[in-house]
Amino acid sequence: MLGYVAIGIPCGILSDSIGLSWLQAFLLSVLFYSGAGQFMFANMWLAGSPIASIVASISLVNTRQMLYSAAFAPACRGVGKGLSFLFAATVTDESYGVNVQRFSEGGWSVAKATLVNVFSMSSWAVSNAVGALVGSAIGIPLAIASFAMTSIFVCLLVTQRAMVENIVAAGVAVLGVFLCKCAGLTGPAILVGAVAGVVAAMVASWARR
Amino acid sequence: MVEPVSWTSFLIVFACCAATMLLCRVVPLFALKGRNLPEGVERALGFIPPAAFAALVANDLLTPGMFDAGLWPGAAPLVAAVAVALVGFKSKSLLWSALTGVVVYGLLMLI
Repeated sequence: MLGYVAIGIPCGILSDSIGLSWLQAFLLSVLFYSGAGQFMFANMWLAGSPIASIVASISLVNTRQMLYSAAFAPACRGVGKGLSFLFAATVTDESYGVNVQRFSEGGWSVAKATLVNVFSMSSWAVSNAVGALVGSAIGIPLAIASFAMTSIFVCLLVTQRAMVENIVAAGVAVLGVFLCKCAGLTGPAILVGAVAGVVAAMVASWARR
Repeated sequence: MVEPVSWTSFLIVFACCAATMLLCRVVPLFALKGRNLPEGVERALGFIPPAAFAALVANDLLTPGMFDAGLWPGAAPLVAAVAVALVGFKSKSLLWSALTGVVVYGLLMLI
């Protein structure tokens, strides 16, 4: 949760620098609830990109969440529609990492997982609003601040189980992202890389039988 | 000076992205929920975490032409990421990893 404050405040400061009010930063965080998407909005606006391409890029980057949503489907069996909807709508990278670990350890419920999502979302939204309010008063270089988010992804990656298939999945995903970027496909790079990783891991697990 | 975001542009981006995001988050779960998934599909779902996090890390760390400005500016985030990986592996704590990342990367940038 404190991790969200550490990234939320810099993200709010960045939002302020493109002229978003604290209210806009707050709304964006509640509904988007995606650090990557919000950093992207600010960066592309600063780069003078047209609105249509901003919308397209953010949407493409967020397609990776289809995978998270699919991954939770077995856990949501027999859970009510309302709760499943709230849970699905509040899934994001970091809380996905926490919940997927808890579910695999057992003794975890969708209600508890939703609570994790909602708490994370609230601390994210509030720290964004605070960041936008204090704004330029604090001078943290943004490249350094946004590295907090990269660090969280690194931590989630290295705490995965060290199976051959997982290593193949990670390796191919990295390669896929890099190749996409070389080809100029920056928006869908994350989704394409991740899907390539999953496919490669399936091939590896099939070959090892 | 960049022109500030107006409420109109804000609402356009906000509404469009919120709609696509909600679809991406909700539809797969409801489509797959309550079915007996084939064993192969369940296994594929288990490979999503390592693949997705590796893709997110690669997206942040790797860019074509990252060494154009010399070796160090491109390598600094990689060195910081290795430090974070060690701390994350030992502590399993997101907070410690985030703090390590910011501090190490900040120090490397000073060099």
